[in-house]
Amino acid sequence: MLFKKELAFLVMLCFVVSSVSSQNKGMVLIPSGSYKPFIKGKVDEIQVDSFWIDEKSVTNAEFSTFVDANPSWSREEIKRLFADEDYLSHWATDLFNQDSFLVGNAPVVNVSWFAAKAYCEWQGKRLPMLSEWEYAASALPQGSVDSSSLQEIIANWYSRRTLSENDTVPHYKNEFGIWDMHGKIWEWVYDFNSVQSNEDSRNMEETPEGLFCGSASLNASDASDYSTFIRFAFRGSLKGHFTVRKLGFRCVKTK
Amino acid sequence: MKNILFIMLTGFLIAGCNEKKEEVKQCCNTKNEQKVTKDLIDQLPGTSVYQLDGDWTSHKGKPLKLNQLTGKPVVLTMIFTHCEYACPMMVNDLKMIEQEFSSQERNEFNFVLVSFDYVRDKQERLESYAVSQGLDDNWILLHGGESQVKELSVTLNISYEMLENGSFSHTNRKLVLDKQGRIVYSQNGLQTNSEPVVEAIRSLL
Repeated sequence: MLFKKELAFLVMLCFVVSSVSSQNKGMVLIPSGSYKPFIKGKVDEIQVDSFWIDEKSVTNAEFSTFVDANPSWSREEIKRLFADEDYLSHWATDLFNQDSFLVGNAPVVNVSWFAAKAYCEWQGKRLPMLSEWEYAASALPQGSVDSSSLQEIIANWYSRRTLSENDTVPHYKNEFGIWDMHGKIWEWVYDFNSVQSNEDSRNMEETPEGLFCGSASLNASDASDYSTFIRFAFRGSLKGHFTVRKLGFRCVKTK
Repeated sequence: MKNILFIMLTGFLIAGCNEKKEEVKQCCNTKNEQKVTKDLIDQLPGTSVYQLDGDWTSHKGKPLKLNQLTGKPVVLTMIFTHCEYACPMMVNDLKMIEQEFSSQERNEFNFVLVSFDYVRDKQERLESYAVSQGLDDNWILLHGGESQVKELSVTLNISYEMLENGSFSHTNRKLVLDKQGRIVYSQNGLQTNSEPVVEAIRSLL
C-alpha cells in the first residue's frame, strides 16, 4: 500500500517536473541575487528575485508565428501609435516566409516596445524589468576570469561597422547559461521609461532629455564604464513606438 | 505544420470572438450603442491615444475605455493623489487653464487625470480627491491596472518610477488631445505658461 502511494507520488512528481520544463522550454532560471546599480540611488545593491529568462533573444521565425496569428501586429495593419514606419522593415514581405528568408534564426529587430510586450504576453510571458535585464546581463562569459572579457565583447561590438540583420552566429554564453546579452543587439525592457536618476519631479522646468545626460552622469557608480553609459543613454532616448535596426528583445517569466 | 498553424489560428479567432463578446457585455447596453462604439474605434486615426484598449474605472465608478473620450478635446495628465507637492501644483495649473474659459466652453472639453498609483488610487480615493479639489463634472479621474498605466505613460512619453515608500517619481507633463485622441500639444513642467495650452484647446473647440 505504502509502495503504491510512493509510486503515485513519484508519477505525480514526474508529471509536475515535466510540465514545468515544457512550459519553460528555451528558458533559463536566474537565481535571486543582487547587483550594483549603474545609476547611484538610495541603495548600493539592487535585489532581484529569481525569474525565468529566454535563453536567446526572440528570432524572426518566432516573431512571424505571432504576427501570423495576430494580424493586427502585421506590418500592414499595425497602428502608428504602436510602431513607426520602419516596423519589421527588414522582412521581405508583410508575412515573413521562412522558405524565402534565410535568417529565421537571427534575432528579430525593428520591433517596437508595444509589439515586444504583446509578443511576450501572447507567450504567457512578459518583458524583463530593467533590473532583471541588467542583473542577467551582468554575468561574465562562461569560463572567463574577470570582467575584462565582457568589456572586450562589448567594445568589439561597438566598434563593428556592419549592421547586418543576419547575425545568426551565437557569440557567447554567460555564467547564467544565457546567450548574447551583449554583443549582438540591444534589447527592450518593460520599464525603459523609468526615471533613472535622482532628478526631483518637483523641478519647475523639466527637460526629460536632460535626465540622463545631466544629473544621471554625475551619479554613475563607475564613470569609466563607457559601454554602460551608452546603453542607458540609448534606452533613455527611446519611445514606445520606435523601431531600431539593432533593437530586439527577449521575454521573462516570474518564477 | 500548416495544420497546426490553422488550429492555432482558429483557436485564436475563437478566443478573440469570446473576448469581444465579454467587452460588449461590460460596456454597452443596446445593439445601437455597440455599433456606434465600434464605428468610433474604426474611425480613430492610427496615432490616436485612444487606440489603447485597456479598461479603466472613473472616479464615479464608471468602467471606461479611452475611446469613450472621443468627441471632445481633452487635457490629459498623470498624477497620484498621495503626492504632496508636484501633483497639487499640476492640478492648480489645470484649474488656471480652466478659468480662461466661459462656463459654456468648459462643457465642450474634458480634463482627464490618470493615476500612476494603481495600488492606492482606487475609485473611492479618486472620488474623494475630486471632491476635496472641487473638480467639476468635466473632470474625469481614472484608475487602471499596472500594465495600462505603463502603456499610457509610454504613449504619452511620461517617465515614472515607483519608489520604495509607494510614491512616484515622474515627469510633469500636460497634453492636449483633439476630439479623436491625437496629441496636438504637450508641455513639461509645473507653473508653466498656460497660454499655449489654452490656445491649443481653443483651436479644437
